[in-house]
Amino acid sequence: MSGGPVTVPDIEKTKAAQPTRGSEGGVSDPRSVQVVRVIVGIIIILWLIPTVGLLITSLRTQGAIETSGWWTVFGSLFDTSQWTLTNYQEVLTSGGFDSAFVNTLIVAVPSTVMPITMAAFAAYAFSWMEFKGRYFLFVFVVALLVVPLQVALIPILRLYAGGPELNISFLSGIAGAISGYDVERVTAGIPLSLNGTFLGVWLAHMGFGLPLAIYLLRNFMGSLPSELMESARIDGADHFAIFTRLVIPLSVPALASFAIFQFLWVFNDFLVALVFLGETADVRVLTIALNALNGQRGEAWHLLTAGAFISMVLPLVVFFSLQRYFVRGLTAGAVKG
Amino acid sequence: MADVEVQKPEAGPTGGAAYPKERRGFGSSVLVVVLSLVAALAVPVLTYVLLNGTFNAMSGRVSAVLVGVVAIIIGVVGVFAMYTLVDLGIKRLPDNIGRTVQPYAWAGPAVVVLGIYLVYPAINTVQLSFADATGEGFVGWDNYRYVFSDPAMLRSLRNTLFWIFVVPAAAVSIGLGFAVLADKLRRTESIAKSMIFLPMAISFVGAGIVWRFVYSFRVEGSGEQIGILNAIKVGLGGAPVDWLAVVPWNNLLLMVIMIWLQTGFAMVILSGAIKGVPEDMLEAARLDGATEIQIFWRIIVPTIMSSIVVVFTTMIIGVLKVFDIVWVMTGGQDGTEVIAERMIRNMFTFRNFGRGAAVAVFMFLAVIPVMYINVRRFREEEATR
Amino acid sequence: MRLSGRVVAALATLALLMAGCSVNVYEAGSGTGGGGGGEGAAAQEENTGQVDIAGAASGEEGVAIQAVIDQGVNDAQDEFVATYTGSDSFEQNVVIQIEGGTPPDIGFYPQPGAVVEQAQQGNLVSLEDLGFDIAALEEQFGSYLLSLGEVDGQHYGFPDTINNKSAIWYNPKAFDAAGYEIPETWDELIALSDQIVADGKNPWCIGTGSEAATGWPATDWMEDIVLRTGGTEVYDGWVDHSVPFASPEITTAAETFGQIIFTPDYVFGGPENISGTDFRDAPDPMFQDDPPCYMHRQATFIVAFFPEGLTPVEDYNFFPFPPIDGQDGVLMAGGLAAVFKNRPEIKDFLELYSQEETQCLYGSVGATTTISANRNVGPDCYDDPLIASAVEPLVEALQNDVARFDASDLMPPAVGSGEFWNGMNNYTNNGPDNLENVLTSIDAAWPASSSDGASE
Repeated sequence: MSGGPVTVPDIEKTKAAQPTRGSEGGVSDPRSVQVVRVIVGIIIILWLIPTVGLLITSLRTQGAIETSGWWTVFGSLFDTSQWTLTNYQEVLTSGGFDSAFVNTLIVAVPSTVMPITMAAFAAYAFSWMEFKGRYFLFVFVVALLVVPLQVALIPILRLYAGGPELNISFLSGIAGAISGYDVERVTAGIPLSLNGTFLGVWLAHMGFGLPLAIYLLRNFMGSLPSELMESARIDGADHFAIFTRLVIPLSVPALASFAIFQFLWVFNDFLVALVFLGETADVRVLTIALNALNGQRGEAWHLLTAGAFISMVLPLVVFFSLQRYFVRGLTAGAVKG
Repeated sequence: MADVEVQKPEAGPTGGAAYPKERRGFGSSVLVVVLSLVAALAVPVLTYVLLNGTFNAMSGRVSAVLVGVVAIIIGVVGVFAMYTLVDLGIKRLPDNIGRTVQPYAWAGPAVVVLGIYLVYPAINTVQLSFADATGEGFVGWDNYRYVFSDPAMLRSLRNTLFWIFVVPAAAVSIGLGFAVLADKLRRTESIAKSMIFLPMAISFVGAGIVWRFVYSFRVEGSGEQIGILNAIKVGLGGAPVDWLAVVPWNNLLLMVIMIWLQTGFAMVILSGAIKGVPEDMLEAARLDGATEIQIFWRIIVPTIMSSIVVVFTTMIIGVLKVFDIVWVMTGGQDGTEVIAERMIRNMFTFRNFGRGAAVAVFMFLAVIPVMYINVRRFREEEATR
Repeated sequence: MRLSGRVVAALATLALLMAGCSVNVYEAGSGTGGGGGGEGAAAQEENTGQVDIAGAASGEEGVAIQAVIDQGVNDAQDEFVATYTGSDSFEQNVVIQIEGGTPPDIGFYPQPGAVVEQAQQGNLVSLEDLGFDIAALEEQFGSYLLSLGEVDGQHYGFPDTINNKSAIWYNPKAFDAAGYEIPETWDELIALSDQIVADGKNPWCIGTGSEAATGWPATDWMEDIVLRTGGTEVYDGWVDHSVPFASPEITTAAETFGQIIFTPDYVFGGPENISGTDFRDAPDPMFQDDPPCYMHRQATFIVAFFPEGLTPVEDYNFFPFPPIDGQDGVLMAGGLAAVFKNRPEIKDFLELYSQEETQCLYGSVGATTTISANRNVGPDCYDDPLIASAVEPLVEALQNDVARFDASDLMPPAVGSGEFWNGMNNYTNNGPDNLENVLTSIDAAWPASSSDGASE
């Protein structure tokens, strides 16, 4: 890029000077630590009960699921006859499960990264650039959060099938002269055929995910200290350099948290994938493959619970692997003080 | 380059009105406008062309897995590469023009994409809201009259109002409380947080089943209860209850599901914000003898206020749009209608697009007060930084 | 380096043009064209060698349909290959595919209403345009089934498989142990119910819970009763709203239903728990050792939800819903095949598929409880004794024109999938005094402009 090397001011230093939060947390009184543990423990148990029920259900036979509560297993934990892995086996060996998994990744990874990239540039512009219509555009973007996905599906579907079309019938005389037919209507447009393509789904997820991404990232980027930007600018950095070398590294926690939500959302999405990709075996995603296991009149609970657990694994891996970035976020706040 | 703005918005209520310092001729103003438009369109168009070309070039020639891998790579780096390219292009422009065009090249693409994916459908919806069931004949305000007169619609308005009061408040306070408490734990913090986060990772189908095993009801004597609430009640000697039919408390039971799902969102965002509260501020307060509770209310909450507002806003909008929980658990029966559920029901079950669209437009309008609060905060924040 | 920006811009413009614009010319009279380049559907296209069918039956039932198609159609000729794809979400899917310009060749719709709707929107090819002789089809299916897909005098629905909904299930062992006889009239049914109450039990296991669709099993009860207390004329009038819900005929039927649900001790768990009991769980108590209730009215598919390990006929069986005051009928549900494209092999497919030899396979290829809509296919085709005994009254009723389609599926969705369900829940939950209210509120939900609605 143009401009000299950017000195990222003192991040490393502040980081080193910072006592590692989370290991101390400022509470020294052992009794209050106990109280904290108990409260946290109670909330966790309340939150976990339904999920534990799901896990146990996924390990039981269909008959058992429908005749007794999942907690009854605790009465006879070691009675192995009540446990079964066939639900998982059936889900994993059902036709096309592996390709559905690959398809889900092909959908989910770009559908997560693309909106984040676009939102990061936009959020930077809304936070640190001056331009006409800035407030208006920002409010406009955030207000779009409220547009329900469902009203967008059919219009976009039509757009994908036909592409935008302009009526240029005033040229019909010329067209008629050339073709020799009685021409009624002439249109010009960009023919799209995005239905059933990965590209179509990526773009759709990007469009639907952008408002939240911009909103969250602008909130974070806007709270970065302005002194930081100014000192970088004095060092001769332009916006692009500040953005890539300063703002992005500092925004990692916000980027990571949005990445998690968008990934989860896309990974567990059924509707958008159904509408824009469809159910054909070569493109269908995991949620659609799992749904196909459910019988016509419903409630193959044993398979659906097993499927729900299998499809939970990857989002959890993503959560755990991105979680360490939340802690590093403290540097951003630290330089502010 | 060095004097590029960050004007404080003393520039006036119009925000960026202060910027064209140099006098420009009419011709160059037009040029700037055109260039800004081109810049805003450049990234979406280039990205589309790049991705489309990649797919077309590969389809049918290489194995599906390879297509997948290449697609992921192109998808991941493509957008960024296009921004880099456009930014390089802008640097070739004369300085003063480039400076004006650049923000549009950065913020513009998102606006363009949103224009296609959300604004165009929203306009479409507004049009439909004045049309009849098939979306063709014009019916004036009839559909809006329906929104404010149909008994089920009115119930849904009332219920949604309750949802808005209960769910965001509960999810944010539990999420915030948990984030603060978990922050004080040692090694277990990450595990503890992931337990609250867990519901977000469960697919909606899974969550529906999970909660059926909580609220499920069977007539006494027709077999064991498989819902945990009824099992507890029967175990304590009571008679089983059809929880989801108990008006009006069934609404609250549905809200519990949303709170269970959404607290993780609040917790993750707020936990990140808490990590950003400067340690020295906390230390200073402790040295002054402040209790942890005082620190929480007087330091942590004010410092992360903007994040709290963000989470609240997101949740309120999420609640306005919630329909799947109600749809799966009760179908809106027994007085549990909410407005998004009414919208979907009208559009897809009753196939009355006009009425469904009118409900959707009402949802758009309902969010205006929330947006007003956000704009105010946005301005305050910029004024003080 | 300096040039790179411009070179890229030029390349992008070029790419845009190439990716890009097209000019479409529409001749006068070729129709408006629409979004997906939809040509006028009437023009016949070339044989492509394959027929794609999409439908709602998935899982084992989907496998059975493909097996029938393979044996009856694909093995019988080598002009084309037909493939069936079943999906749980067929009904949303097919709308998506139509909007997206990629409908299947044929859709096996589970309900007639959607077929009529698509026909009205001009998305379907009529059987007449395909070259079918309607009179010949009526020989096979009877005029009633064909009329379900009729719009403006053209027929759009090709009858597919159906099932018998007028069945009352019971546990033969429990019946024997208690010495109960199968009732053959409504009065005998009521007498049996009274006897069971006198014996200290509840005669009926009823549950109408079905999440978002709670209430539909009660609408089936109503339909069975209307068909028998009012006859087919009232029934058809009810469907097209010339006989409103609040009319004396429908009120009488609702009161007859009320006799079952509100007579003290008739319903296990009491009427107030009917809508809270899941329809899939409702029959289970019949199979307990000392059953608290003895009878359950439901379509033949319910056997899939009976507890595991039961043997048909021995452990469970059904008797037909009895006639009321001598008036009988059979309630059925089922699907219509709708055609989206006009190609010669599609007509060939439908002909081969609907002929008796092919349809007879439905009785033997596997896990399906459906019955052929071809009334010339007799009970002998069906391996499963229960299905065979469900075929007989249905075929007979089809021939006598007293078989009627599930009314709630034929009514406009705001009623048939909305207020009718809610009204039934309101009725079962709040008791008989509420009836007038219930019926007028269902009438109020009937869309104003539906004189040409989904029925006829």
